[in-house]
Amino acid sequence: MLKFIVRRLLLLVPILIGLSFLVFIWIRALPGGPAEALLGERATPEAIAKIERDYGLNKPITVQYWDYVKTTATGDLGTSVTTRRAVTDELKQRFPATIELAIAAMLFSLLGIPLGFFAAKHYGKAIDSASLFVSLLGVSVPIFFLAILLKYVFAVQLGWLPTTGRVDARIDFDHPTNFYLLDSLWTGDFSIFWDCVKHLILPAIALGSIPLAIIARITRAAVLDVQNEDYVRVARAKGLSPREVDSRHVLRNALLPIITIIGLQTGLLLSGAVLTETVFAWPGIGTWLVDAIRSRNFPVLQGGILFVSVIFVLVNLAVDVTYAIVNPKIRVS
Amino acid sequence: MRGIALKAILALAACAVLVVTLGNSSGSKASSTLIFAGAADPTYLDPALASDGETFRVTEQMYEGLVALKPGTTKVIPKLALKWKSANRGKTWTFWLRHGVKFHDGTPFNAAAVCANFNRWYNWSGAFQDPSATFYYQAIYGGFKHNEVSGLQPPLYRSCAAKGQYKAIVKLRKASGTFFPSLVIAPFAMQSPTAMRKYGADQGELRNGTFRATGSYAFEHPTGTGPFKFKSWTIGQKVEIVRNDKYWGQKAKLSRVIIQPISDSTARLQALQNHDVNAYDLAAPQDIPTLSGNSSLKVIKRPAFNVAYVTIHQGSGPMKELKVRQAVAYGLNRKGVVNQFYYGTGKVAQEFMPPSLYGYAKKVQTYAYNPTKAKQLLNSSSCHVPCHIDFWYPTAVSRPYMPDPVRNFQGFQASLENSGFSVTPHSAPWRPTYVAKVNEGSAGDLNLIGWTGDYADPDNFVGTFFNQTTANAQFGFSNASINSLLLKAKNEANFAKRVALYQKLNQQLMKYLPGVPYAHATPALGAEKRVHNLIATPVGGVWFQYATVG
Amino acid sequence: MSVAELEAREVGLEGPSSGLWSEAWRRLRHNPSAIVGFVMVGTFVFVALFAPLIATHDPLEQDLSLLNGGCCPGPSAEHWFGVDALGRDLFSRVVYGARYSLLIGVVSVAVGLSIGLLIGAIAGYAGGWVDSLLMRLMDIMLSIPGLLLAIGIVAALGPGLVQIMIAVGVTQIPIFARLLRGSILATKETDYILAARSVGIRGRVILSSHVIPNSISPVIVQGTLALATAIIDVAGLGFLGLGPQDPSTPEWGTMLTDTTRYLQTAPFLALIPGAAIVISVLGFNLIGDGLREALDPRFRGRA
Repeated sequence: MLKFIVRRLLLLVPILIGLSFLVFIWIRALPGGPAEALLGERATPEAIAKIERDYGLNKPITVQYWDYVKTTATGDLGTSVTTRRAVTDELKQRFPATIELAIAAMLFSLLGIPLGFFAAKHYGKAIDSASLFVSLLGVSVPIFFLAILLKYVFAVQLGWLPTTGRVDARIDFDHPTNFYLLDSLWTGDFSIFWDCVKHLILPAIALGSIPLAIIARITRAAVLDVQNEDYVRVARAKGLSPREVDSRHVLRNALLPIITIIGLQTGLLLSGAVLTETVFAWPGIGTWLVDAIRSRNFPVLQGGILFVSVIFVLVNLAVDVTYAIVNPKIRVS
Repeated sequence: MRGIALKAILALAACAVLVVTLGNSSGSKASSTLIFAGAADPTYLDPALASDGETFRVTEQMYEGLVALKPGTTKVIPKLALKWKSANRGKTWTFWLRHGVKFHDGTPFNAAAVCANFNRWYNWSGAFQDPSATFYYQAIYGGFKHNEVSGLQPPLYRSCAAKGQYKAIVKLRKASGTFFPSLVIAPFAMQSPTAMRKYGADQGELRNGTFRATGSYAFEHPTGTGPFKFKSWTIGQKVEIVRNDKYWGQKAKLSRVIIQPISDSTARLQALQNHDVNAYDLAAPQDIPTLSGNSSLKVIKRPAFNVAYVTIHQGSGPMKELKVRQAVAYGLNRKGVVNQFYYGTGKVAQEFMPPSLYGYAKKVQTYAYNPTKAKQLLNSSSCHVPCHIDFWYPTAVSRPYMPDPVRNFQGFQASLENSGFSVTPHSAPWRPTYVAKVNEGSAGDLNLIGWTGDYADPDNFVGTFFNQTTANAQFGFSNASINSLLLKAKNEANFAKRVALYQKLNQQLMKYLPGVPYAHATPALGAEKRVHNLIATPVGGVWFQYATVG
Repeated sequence: MSVAELEAREVGLEGPSSGLWSEAWRRLRHNPSAIVGFVMVGTFVFVALFAPLIATHDPLEQDLSLLNGGCCPGPSAEHWFGVDALGRDLFSRVVYGARYSLLIGVVSVAVGLSIGLLIGAIAGYAGGWVDSLLMRLMDIMLSIPGLLLAIGIVAALGPGLVQIMIAVGVTQIPIFARLLRGSILATKETDYILAARSVGIRGRVILSSHVIPNSISPVIVQGTLALATAIIDVAGLGFLGLGPQDPSTPEWGTMLTDTTRYLQTAPFLALIPGAAIVISVLGFNLIGDGLREALDPRFRGRA
């Protein structure tokens, strides 16, 4: 097991190098550069040339790449072109925001497991068809439209929940980790915690809707498959109560594909985050990167994408390890 | 397992009930806190190092300059300086300062402090000489004591002497018309020398081509003399300022102002509709009817401080002839376009600077839409009807002076075609290429562009457009008379004479027609009806000093 | 009928005969969700094809006089879905929007399908290092979330209708490639094919009469689902402002971009195009799902 993990971690290095180079090339393939975006109406040819000199954009691309590698190796991901802050500082703020959202969405989507189980148990009946329909509906509604709908119903019409941001502007509290739920709990003030939760609810539902639908489907299918397996029939014949059969055999074995699917949701969550964050003005990685593309904010794009890829690969590794633990057959290969 | 599913549903329902009962609206009782949404976070709270309106919105509450603009206008009035006099043909300026003013850290505001500020700017070296660090200083004063980078102008400033506590004498190397008016703008506000020294205001470096301040002054200890003082800045989230109870003038009514960045204009609108904020800036023109139609909200307008114009490039092609340029002016249905596509926030522009700015000529040649006259002019020129021209417009953008470029273009194209022109449309996305093309003169015979003023001085408008370099590059012309007038006005130290010079210049411009100005737009703020006395200045600042909520 | 085929039928590994298709069709006809899906998609395609006849107004024609009371007048007798922020009839725009969505969906999926199947066939048949290389490439593409990959492509190509079709098409490639390759590999190894080979039936015959027909069903299923994803992804790109740059284009996703600001005053501007997207996508998903169940041999014998 250890060898497996170490091997995968070592693989991380060439992946990162290859990826950073690809992103580097891609960024420079984008038409135009940060100069025009920064200067607005002041983009005279001289001003543009000066900025390009400042950023070293007129040097040959291999030189640029080597400079980039040198600075990144020291941990300096560059300076954002638009806000003049260190990319690492902005990452420290933006990343926890998206992670918090993603985890909340993931937790919400886990509701798909009992829903899928419920549907499988009533296979063939109207409830099953209805749940299938609803879960298909879940993947058919574009995330941003769902976000708009939720906003419309719960924030605009009913006024129960806020429309934007992570916390009410009037509230002051220290958030050293930038995970607002944790930081607010740490202050001991429940009303602050509650305010953060309120801001998290709608975006989490919007983001988690598609994973929820998918998890429900997979759970249903997996449970159905397992139910008809021989060992389940044997267990029933042995006289175990339905509940025991379910927990000891059905669920445990159905868990495998479910875990795989949960792991595969990371990519979906990331792309969904971009759309959800836009609608709710959530200050996370999604809006950060999309804005960076628009303003050709090279350092942010470079550093941000690299960082996100690292996390992505690590999460995939974690999923594979979990999968290997749960399914001994995989470890051997 | 039915049990689990059922329990899950009940739990969800319980949560929903909890949310409803504990949730509450953001309070509609009178409050002494105002929450304001801008479009972006400030860069630094040291205004000398910033050039963005978001920073200035905050610093203009905490800092004051020697002089200021009368709220809501562009008229210069005393602030930290009570009286001033220029001598030696504008090279020596004497300021008599207000008594009994203290910085937020308790240190006194006096002539020594004034000179400390001027000398600080003049003595900047290293990274601070990069235009990304000190844009406005370089725009007005040129260079520094020791210019370390090529391309910097020779310095305008010579010295500052403190005569006693309340008299400061500033000497310049040559006469300048822009020195005095520039003292109102945010970067030249007076900052506490003690605090700047203590918290490393002059520590900075150049990283990856951008300037970064590294001392804590600009982030945690901005210290001025203004009606509000700094409380906290959570970078990327909000800035909080509180009332300065020791302020020398009329104390603020609000005890707290929170300014938070919401980059999307729709999100700002919704935050206001939901009463998560009390007011916000940069309302999209399309939202103005929504705001006016809402019974608890209102629109606060600013006097226009921008101009949208059609560039006429004379470098090659038919535009070299004055008659053809005149035909263009008569052939553009400016009134129609402004009425239709500015959502009620636009005014037809007759000159290249806004009417609220001094130097605006009272009477200039005007060109009301007249297709017949345009055709006549064309036929008596070398470009007979139909006169073929290339007309460029930007896509994927909305500017404060031009909310809807595509539709503006379509309106103009139609009216020009009616007036004897044959228009070939071209477009490019605003980012990344459109502005560069316009500025280097490769955007056809005509193109749409505009400008929002940085500071209340005509030089920032007509000087920016028609200085020799730009006139040549963007407009493709070189006119000795216009150029010399421009320079003369820029360097004229006598205010009244200067105003007259700019008025004359504007009259000449509207005869020469290097382009055709067509709109001034009034960017607006949205606010709750219960917010009173929120003053929006033409140059983009917002004054909270007199504001109240509820 | 050769010995091999007789044997294959006994083992239960039949190649597709008319039996499979007619059985699948029968199951499909009895699946209520699938029927609903057919109705939805049918309506969608019908509206798209006959848009000029169905629309009541010109989708580009602006009547600004209707907006004198501000934005926006809601559904009325003259304008069934109301009028948008520029005075255009929303019903007609939604109707023409179906055309764009259909066009975009079909083109993107065609791009993804054709290139993907080609790659998958090469990989499946060539095997060895060619297979490994191609599949690594597909893995890399699959590891980047679809929308982000599409955004990356559009950023490099510039915004526009054609560009988003290409971008979304490219994101579909690895799915089809993997599908066909898997199908080929699976069929290659079945006893039935080994038997056929050992008897001497040529590779090409095997390919055309067994591999391809066996792979068709998953490709059809995936194709319908891909169509659904394509419509959603394109709408997402349009929502982010990366779609057709001319704001008068009646594309559903782009129609949604600027409507959040009118949520309080004219919610129908957002709700109606959004509902249109949901209905068409749901229709394709229902059909794809129904097809999957109908064609899945595991479900045989289970009413």
